[in-house]
Amino acid sequence: MRLKLLAHTPDVETLIAVSMLTTTSGAKPSTLYQRLKAKPGKVSEVVGRAETQHGNILEHNRFTWLVEASEPEVLAVLENSRFINTTRLGEGRWVLSCNLRAAVEYSKLHGDEFSRLVAESIVGVEPGLRRFFKGVMG
Amino acid sequence: MRVRLLSYTPLEPLMEALPGTRPRDLLPHMGYVFAVEGVSRACSHQLVRHRVASFSQQSQRYITVKRLGERVVEPPSMAGRREFLDVVKAVQEAYESLIASGVSKEDARFLLPNATETSLLMTMDGGSLLHFLGLRLCYRAQWEIRALAKEALRELRKAQPTLFREAGPYCLQLGYCPEGRFNCGRMKEAWEEYRAEP
Repeated sequence: MRLKLLAHTPDVETLIAVSMLTTTSGAKPSTLYQRLKAKPGKVSEVVGRAETQHGNILEHNRFTWLVEASEPEVLAVLENSRFINTTRLGEGRWVLSCNLRAAVEYSKLHGDEFSRLVAESIVGVEPGLRRFFKGVMG
Repeated sequence: MRVRLLSYTPLEPLMEALPGTRPRDLLPHMGYVFAVEGVSRACSHQLVRHRVASFSQQSQRYITVKRLGERVVEPPSMAGRREFLDVVKAVQEAYESLIASGVSKEDARFLLPNATETSLLMTMDGGSLLHFLGLRLCYRAQWEIRALAKEALRELRKAQPTLFREAGPYCLQLGYCPEGRFNCGRMKEAWEEYRAEP
């Protein structure tokens, strides 16, 4: 299986922090977003407090990959998660996408090649998200 | 009400990596994050019925609703009506009194009306978003969620005009009304309202 991250929504960590503060503070989400964009240090501090049991804070983003894999390999991925969108491009080529919550939960439950590749590709572009893949990556 | 598109998947890297793919076919793989602010809890109840989406909403368990009278959405049909204003005033007094007497916010909120203002983050993939717009821009949709959908469409057309040029109520997307006997009979009007500028 080969996997290449093609695109993702920007500001993933900032939006995790916005999501956390939206639920518990009276401030409006667009105000929080503007404030936090100007203070990256604050984003790390807020996200560092995240308790991912309430996983919806990890859902405000999307990661999109080009995957080269056999049909059985992709079928196994789809059987393992209801939250991954798939498009078949041609023989052995697929577009797959999901949000961070689906990727993290997949990686924690299934220690397969797909979960490792997904975690590596996400952390490769957003190093601050490594904390959510503890136990999956080294 | 205010709707802002905070973040979205850029189309260009996908088109570069997948030449020959129709942009519209990539919509299920693209994410859109909106800040939705100053809508009623009645509106947010309708929003969360769109299940292929994610929401982070201001929690009435954590946030005290201060000055309820200034934090309600008043339907135009009830503008200035005493029945509405009197109930909101009475609820505000009772809510504040309960909080002051030590009742928890999560219990006191049982009094709060559907008109109470709320703000939230809403994220959908592009495919679900087209479905949302198809349903909620329809003239049969409730006025507040239709206004919200209209703001969302305006933001989307500003950010990705090519992708959302043809987005609109289902009568515009499909070229016919799928509402059957509930057809509003105003398809031409809807097309004129929602068709993108050339």
